[in-house]
Amino acid sequence: MKMQKKSVSEWVKSGDPWVWLNAGAVAISVIMVIGLLLLIAVRGLGHFWPADVVQAHYALPGESEYNIAAERVESVEVSAAQLREAGIQIPDEHQLMQRTLMKTGNRDVYGSDFRWVIDEYLTETKRPEMLFTAERREWGNLYGYLKAVKEDGKIVSQTNDLTPTASAMATWQVFEESIERASKIHDAIHVIEKKDIGKINYALERIRLEQRRLELKGKLTPEAEADLATERGQYDEEYKQLQQSLIELYSQINRDTFIVQVMDGSVHEMPVSKIVHAFRANSMGVVEKIGFYFVKLGEFLSDEPREANTEGGVFPAIFGTVMMVLLMTVLVTPFGVVAAVYLREYASQGWVTRIIRIAVNNLAGVPSIVYGVFGLGFFIYFLGSGIDQAFFPEALPSPTFGTGGLMWASITLALLTVPVVIVATEEGLSRIPRNVREGSLALGATKAETLWRVVLPMASPAIMTGVILAVARAAGEVAPLMLVGVVKLAPSLPLDGNYPYIHLDQKFMHLGFHIYDVGFQSPNVEAARPLVYATALLLVIVIALLNLSAVTIRNHLREKYKSLEM
Amino acid sequence: MSDVKTHSIDISAMQRSQQALRIEDEKVCLSVNDLHLFYGEKEALKGIDMIIPEKKVTAFIGPSGCGKSTLLRCFNRMNDLVDSCRITGEINLHSDNIYAKGTDVAELRRRVGMVFQKPNPFPKSIYENVAYGLRIQGINKKRVLDETVEWALRSAALWDEVKDRLHESALGMSGGQQQRLVIARTVAVKPEVLLLDEPASALDPISTLKIEELIHELKKDFTIAIVTHNMQQAARVSDYTAFMYIGDLVEFGDTNTLFTNPSKQQTEDYITGRYG
Repeated sequence: MKMQKKSVSEWVKSGDPWVWLNAGAVAISVIMVIGLLLLIAVRGLGHFWPADVVQAHYALPGESEYNIAAERVESVEVSAAQLREAGIQIPDEHQLMQRTLMKTGNRDVYGSDFRWVIDEYLTETKRPEMLFTAERREWGNLYGYLKAVKEDGKIVSQTNDLTPTASAMATWQVFEESIERASKIHDAIHVIEKKDIGKINYALERIRLEQRRLELKGKLTPEAEADLATERGQYDEEYKQLQQSLIELYSQINRDTFIVQVMDGSVHEMPVSKIVHAFRANSMGVVEKIGFYFVKLGEFLSDEPREANTEGGVFPAIFGTVMMVLLMTVLVTPFGVVAAVYLREYASQGWVTRIIRIAVNNLAGVPSIVYGVFGLGFFIYFLGSGIDQAFFPEALPSPTFGTGGLMWASITLALLTVPVVIVATEEGLSRIPRNVREGSLALGATKAETLWRVVLPMASPAIMTGVILAVARAAGEVAPLMLVGVVKLAPSLPLDGNYPYIHLDQKFMHLGFHIYDVGFQSPNVEAARPLVYATALLLVIVIALLNLSAVTIRNHLREKYKSLEM
Repeated sequence: MSDVKTHSIDISAMQRSQQALRIEDEKVCLSVNDLHLFYGEKEALKGIDMIIPEKKVTAFIGPSGCGKSTLLRCFNRMNDLVDSCRITGEINLHSDNIYAKGTDVAELRRRVGMVFQKPNPFPKSIYENVAYGLRIQGINKKRVLDETVEWALRSAALWDEVKDRLHESALGMSGGQQQRLVIARTVAVKPEVLLLDEPASALDPISTLKIEELIHELKKDFTIAIVTHNMQQAARVSDYTAFMYIGDLVEFGDTNTLFTNPSKQQTEDYITGRYG
């Protein structure tokens, strides 16, 4: 084979450099996207894995020695000089040292639940089977050895062994049963507090507003008042009954306590009702761990947040995000389509329509926080307070629509995304062949009938493209929402069993804001970090799913009206 | 193929038997009086006077750009869709001036149906395509729709081909079938006049022949006006022929006379192929 020598200019002319450049750009984009997803997936999803708990003896030179039991979180290499500067006495022969972040838990005992240790000085590392992790409703994780379980203050089972002997296992068994019992009662209490009492409170509030309304109208006759009073009396009675059963449940839930020995040797007695899960990670097999992993993942998706959002699930945030996006879609689609139909089909094309089009396109480039300010100033303070005065005077001075809420957030985002829908719809309308429109008109259809029956159905794939873009933009938006209705913790979902079922005036939670809140407003940064990644991954997945469903609808429509490609 | 041949013989035989046609004897369906049409400054029709006889086929021939399609589109006011278009003169459908103020254009188009050059079925099922015009009129009774759809499809000689797939998309049909579907769709609203704007120019010869055959059937019930580029087609299907040239109606008469013994030199030049 003879090597053919090509000059550089010939190589450039052949077009190869361009191919390389383009392919390179695509490759870099793909790698970046995959890298980003992998990073948040690995960091986020790892959080739910029941990690082994390491017990070790830690002795920093020149400081007091102690035992720790903790999960390894991450390791970094640091220069010894840096450590020396931090006041740790490191012998001169060391240059680089491995430093590990340990999750020691027991915040109520130690004061903090994370600790950096230098690997060099960890000795007697072991993974004892009886060392257990308990996820608590308060104070984060607990690590320690179970000593005894008490019922009504009396010890029902106890052990002194730190190895899985028969007596230790028996106590553990009792402990697990006790947790199961407590969590069942906890669920029952939760149902009564959230659902039943919530319903009664809602009804009582309605009665109060009704009374105030009548009062304002001057129609509060003694009969009406008496009616309302009897109604209120019924609810009060129901409330008392629920209160009674609550008291009973609370006394039951606090029956059991357990005694735990933590690593500094101290012994603590705690109520079993504070435990969500207790497990001995070191004795779990891989299958068991995978099962536990999915239980935790399920809880993350379906539970409410606890502990200033750093523990528990994100269900209200998922719900709020999806609900807001759907509501936004319902608002923006008709509005955008109607506007586009007028612009393209009815308005005479001239400089006015051209200016409107330019304005619409520019609207798409306005920073979203500006929309937030507009939403707050116009929708909430102007429209909202107007609505309150006209329709909800009985609730004043507390605002109904005069404060941020689901409806205003959806409308603000609809405003933000309407240019996308208008542009996409116009594009679609302009691509409908003239002869199809003429065919309809020639059959005696009016222009409106032609639009409605032929043109719009044929343009529907293009409209869906606009909706997809709108959803993608709206679901990821956070800044304007902070001004118009998103909160870090909403007491109830905007959709529930109380009439009128959808509460458009309620504040809601949002995954995007949740990320910001957990990551940057949380008192416990280390504990929150994996949740930030997990929530970010979830937000990406939710947006992808919303988009995917819109794309599916569009493809279905495309298939139906594919004559456009004639 | 033999079918086709017999058929073309039939047509010429029919043509011979109709030698005695006289425009004065016909009932008037549409009459055009001094019709001028302008696209902006350009005068596209320069004072047309003619009649379209009832239950007969009238063909418009002429070179490209002579205004024959424009004239056809005046009959159902399709030109209204062109912004710069301006019309003077009048066209009467029976006794109603269709350009009078207050004319219901949708109603007019129901009475004067139109089939276009390129088949333009809607992206709906075959059934819904034919029922479209009826649904527009607010007819939604299933029995009425079923009957009318069948009748229209039979009229367009399409029933036997599609009766088993009425609810499949019309877009899956061949071009010739689509054009007959469009004719069925137009026929279904029972118009008085059918305007055919080069209905066969996008079709293959066999489909063309089917359309021509159909025109013969349809003229029993409808007044037909057809624009065509194909002079043989005009000779085969029409009773009367109008020859147009650059916005003028040069000659109008019964088809046989016009093709065998044209009175104007321009007409003779055109039909003998000296231009166009």
